[in-house]
This record gives sequence, C-alpha cells and structure tokens, in this order.
Amino acid sequence: MVLAYLHPHATQIAYIGPGAGFAFLGSFLTLIAGFFLTVFSLLSWPFRLAWRAVRRRKGYRHARVRKIIFLGLDGLDPRTTERLMTEGKLPNLARLAAEGSYKRLRTTFPALSPVAWSTFATGVSPAKHNIFDFLDRSLKNYLPRLSSAHIGKPAHVLRVGRLRVPISRTPVELRRKSQPFWKILGRQGIGCTILRVPITFPPEKFDGRLLSAMCTPDLKGTQGSFSQFTTRVERATYENGSRYPLRRVADGFAGEIEGPADTYLEGRPILRIPFQVRRRNGAYELQVAGRRCALRPGEYTGWQRLGFRTAVGASASGMARFLATETDPEFSIYMTPLNLDPERPALPISHPPYYAAYLANLLGSYATVGMAEDTWALNEGVIDEDAFLRQAWDIFAEREGMFLNALENTRRGVVACVFDTSDRIQHMFYRRLGTSGPHAEAIEEMYRRLDKLAGKALTFTDDGTALFVLSDHGFCAFRRGVNINAWLRDNGYLHLKNGGRESGPFFEGVDWSRTRAYALGLGGFYLNLKGREALGVVDKREAEALKSEIIRQLAALRDEDGAAPIGNVYATASLYRGPYLDAAPDFIVGYNEGYRCSWDGAVGKVAVGTIEDNDKAWSGDHCVDPVLVPGVLFSNRKIEAADPGIEDLAPTALKLFGVDVPAWMEGKALW
Amino acid sequence: MTIKLKKELWAQVTKAATAGGYSSPEEFIEHVLERECAKLAGEEPDEEVVRRLKGLGYID
Repeated sequence: MVLAYLHPHATQIAYIGPGAGFAFLGSFLTLIAGFFLTVFSLLSWPFRLAWRAVRRRKGYRHARVRKIIFLGLDGLDPRTTERLMTEGKLPNLARLAAEGSYKRLRTTFPALSPVAWSTFATGVSPAKHNIFDFLDRSLKNYLPRLSSAHIGKPAHVLRVGRLRVPISRTPVELRRKSQPFWKILGRQGIGCTILRVPITFPPEKFDGRLLSAMCTPDLKGTQGSFSQFTTRVERATYENGSRYPLRRVADGFAGEIEGPADTYLEGRPILRIPFQVRRRNGAYELQVAGRRCALRPGEYTGWQRLGFRTAVGASASGMARFLATETDPEFSIYMTPLNLDPERPALPISHPPYYAAYLANLLGSYATVGMAEDTWALNEGVIDEDAFLRQAWDIFAEREGMFLNALENTRRGVVACVFDTSDRIQHMFYRRLGTSGPHAEAIEEMYRRLDKLAGKALTFTDDGTALFVLSDHGFCAFRRGVNINAWLRDNGYLHLKNGGRESGPFFEGVDWSRTRAYALGLGGFYLNLKGREALGVVDKREAEALKSEIIRQLAALRDEDGAAPIGNVYATASLYRGPYLDAAPDFIVGYNEGYRCSWDGAVGKVAVGTIEDNDKAWSGDHCVDPVLVPGVLFSNRKIEAADPGIEDLAPTALKLFGVDVPAWMEGKALW
Repeated sequence: MTIKLKKELWAQVTKAATAGGYSSPEEFIEHVLERECAKLAGEEPDEEVVRRLKGLGYID
C-alpha cells in the first residue's frame, strides 16, 4: 500500500493492452526505491504539512466565499423542471429559485455531455478543449475513435518464449485539452474534490482529489459490455453484450465468465473464471472466485470481486453484479459489465491514485465504468425496466454517499459531483411520459428524488457557501433517426463502390475518391478535405462554397409527413475559434425535437433510407439543436446575467476565490 | 522529461500560445508535436478500435 501511495503510476506499468490491464508491482529495485522513498516521505512530512498550511492560508486571502458546491444533474430539463416546480413537486429547487436564482443555462454546440462538461471544467469552447463529440475519426482510415481518451500499447515488450512482458509504461492519454478550473485553484492551495465529472479519465494530476467518470472503460477495455448466461439454446446476437451458455449440472448450473485478454501471452487468449449456481433449499447460491453469495430471483447481488489470473501470475481485478432474470423452466443470469475494481484498479481512475480505494474502503464498492447504468441491457431486453431502474438507483445511492461524505469533510474549497441518473432515466423512459402504462411516473419520480438531493446539499450551505445546481443540457423525445450519410449519397456528396446504395458500418464500401462529405458521431459531419483526410478530394478553395450548398440543401430535408427533421445546420467555424478547430466536424446538425442522427449513421453506415423509426427503449435524447435543449442553473445567490452559459461556471469559481481569470478562458464570471 | 529551448524561442512560443488561445505554452508545444507525430504514427488494427466503442449508449 505504501508503494502505491508513493508511486501513483506504478500500477500502470504492466497495463499492456486496451482490453486487459493488470496491476503489476514489480521488481526488487522497485522495492528498494520504495523503501527509501517511504523513509524520505516520513521524515519530510512535518515540513510538507507546514508548507501546505501556509499556502492554503495565502490561497484564500482574496476569497469571497469559503466553499463552492457544484451539484451536477446530467440532462435535467428546464421545461420539465419548471412544470414540476409550478406543480409544487420540487420544493427544494423552488426554494433555491425563490431565495437565490434559477436560470436556463446555455449549453454547447453540440449539446452532448462530454462536450458540455468539458466546457464546464475549462471555461472554454470545444475549439479550445478539443472535445466535439463522443467520437472523432481517424484522418487516415476514417474509423471512429473515442474522442476523450486513448489507451495505447507499451513501446517495449520483452519476449520470453510465449510470454510478452512489458518493460515500458502503457500510455493512457486524456485528449481533453486546456485546463480545468480545479487545477488552477489547486495551484493556489484551494482544495477541490471532483467526483464523477465527465471527461476526467485518465485523471490529471493536480492539488486535490478526483474520481474519473464518463469514458472510463470496463476491464475488457470497452465502454461497458454486459454478459448473459442462459440455458436457452436459441441463438441471440447482442450489439453491445454477449450471451454465454449455462450448463445444467447435478444440483444447479455452471458457466464461465469471459474476462479480458491475457496480454502477457502470445495470441492474447481470453481469461476466464468458472462459476456455479447451486440450488439450496429452494433458493440459489452463486459460487464464483472462491466466494459464495445468495442469488435471489429479481435481486442484484452485491459487487463480486473477480480476479483474472494471467500467465505471469498477476491478476486483473474487476467486479460485477449478478441478477437471475428467470429461474424456471429456463435459467438466465445477467452480469453487469466488468467494472474496474476501485480497490485495485487496472487503470488509473482517481487522483491521487489511492483515492478510489479510500472511497471503496470507506463507503463500499461502487460502479467505476464511465456510463455505469447499463442502457444496452435494457435496449436488448436482457433486463427489464424494473431491473434497470434498480440498477440506476443503486448507482445513485453509491454516488450520493460519496457526495455527502465530501460535503461533510469539506470546510472550505470546492466539491463538485455529477449524477447521471437524470440522463439515463430520461433516455430510457421518455416514451413512457404521458402514458398510463408501467413506469409512466419514472421520470417524474426521478426529478423528485433529485430535488431531495438538492435539499440535502442545501443543508451544507451558509453565508460563505456558493451552491450551484446545474445540468449540461435538457431533454426531448427521440422518435425518428436521420442517416445523414444516406442523405449525402442521395444528393451526390457520398458515393459507394460499384454503384451500391448501402454500406456496412464504418464506411465499408464507400468510394472515397468521389466522396465529398461523410457523417460520423452524434453531432455533425465532415467534408472529405484534401490535405486533411488521407483520401480527401475537396479542395480548400472550394470548401466554403460547398459548405453553403450543403447547408442550404440539408435544411430543406422533409420527413414523410412533411415535417422538417432539421431546423438548422451550423458551419462549425462560425460557432467558435480555437487551436483545435481543425479536429471539429465541419457541420453541426441542429435537429428538431423528435429527431436525432440514426443509430447506425453515427458509426458511419450508409443506410438504404434516410429517416427511420427509433424503436429502442432509448427514446429520449438531447442530440438536437442546442438552442432547444438548454440546461438548468440554480444558485443560492442572485444571478443577474441574462443569458448564462455553461462556460461561465469555471471563471465564476475562480473569481469567487479571488483568483485571476486567465485571458484564454471564454466564459464570463457571473459576479 | 525536459527539453531546453532558447530564451528567444520560448518568448515566441509564449506569444504564439497566447495568440492561439492555448492555456499555456506547454499545451501549444504539445499540440504542435502531437500533430507532427500523428503524421508518422501507424494505425491500430480496425477491430481493436471498434471493439473499444462497444457499450457506448448512444451508438449501435
């Protein structure tokens, strides 16, 4: 443990592949170095403590507040919030509005969480922080990539027979640029606790505490892949999860959990852990990794730690929860994605590195995957709505524990925590709104519970505290999906090889030599620009005229019933300026309410038709014209600004602590 | 790792970083170097890139 404290990145050394990731505290030399560092650390501790106290006192000298609380409620919609406040159903938020302020909060272009929360953190537009979407693309092969983080491979690997032992660090890179306000405050000795604010994986070093959020991968290196174990023999294909057979044995069932690849071994074989389910007096017991727990139908188990042992003996530590979804005549078990174990994370998920383990020891294990609520398991019918809601509220409870603990322990400084429950429940239950069926009240119930959370946060405020309750965007229905690639094909801007009409995902079959524009991601689309894209064909001199032509034509798109799916098409260069503008989509599509980019269009598929129904449980969204989905901003202080934007919060935090706002920040302090 | 620059160049870098909207001269230097190195870097296998996106709620 001491070693882990002193060598924050030692556990990263042997993470040798994006799928796996293994803690590997190594050699004898490391032990020796660790010993001397420990001695040095102990001897210098009183001096460091004194220096920190002096610095902190200095840091607060010009502060107008002692403490700032940011309570982020992802996707809390102003229209729903205002209606429920009027109906008297959100008493705490209504009180905040009456005694302090309530405003609609301008969001980013596009209105996506990674983009908007990055702007919240840095006070700059996407062109200065480099996050324009969940996805960006390779300029060499047009494949989508996660825009926020990149996990590479170690540069040097020692080959011993079939063994592959890394002898250099695995690069894990945060692709968000600029600087978050908590880093600037940290330099002034003002402490910040940052909990699950999106786009903080991997965590940056700063003088404070941070737990990573959105885009933190699971142990397999994906954004969260569930598993289903079942005695059902019929075939089933899941887009974002896997189905595995469950064998009937003498007194129960047996199966195997598929983990990450063993990157220490040639060929990277998949690591597996066997498990059994035993019948015990009419009930069931799960036996896995040397432990037993009750498996009650319809009830999630607690987090089960799963150590996948590699060829070199090191263990990749993950954890999952299990749910028996049916027991008779067939038996099926749902397993959540393999979350990184916060007590032994295979990748850095907190700063300081021990902070994740500290929280787990103090409050119990918790979900660590970026988007922890398993929306795909519900989309694919592997779990039902009740099970999804239980999971979402369990994750909420974990996060609430962390948030309240941070508030209890923060006398001065910043506490910022983002809750995703509001976003996920609106995504998955929007089609239930206004119906009389089951879960018609799921969204309203969520707003009420988050109002209670705001009430709890209020109890930690006094005259020296500034409280902000905010969301990054609002919400609306998602009934129809638009495949921009199909529209580009129909209008002569995108061509398929051999005159085809339909492509596979990831532009399979696209003839780049004749393609002038292509769509990827949720917010916008790109020109195939000569000198930028590897197979670009559009000359820079023609680009502006082509942009104008496409914008004019796309805005005229009509649905079968004559409705306009798109209200505005924005040329990104007209929205913002900054050093990373080259990486931005050339266009941002402002969909009207009810529409969004289609599921397959987002990953570069050219569909036969341009507009299709969205029949998934995921029926609410915010990937529309940002002017239609502002967020909310409540504060216990009066806000006079007429049109506050999410970029204004970072400079506000600095100014409240009397820290100069750097010239590169674009937001304006609210006071 | 430390790379030494001449004072004159550092002054120019600082000026360029401010004009460009970067939050620090270091960010400017990193961006310039990353952009150049990206031209030489190879691509990862397609299936690996795609696999990592699995589970992202917003895409199929």
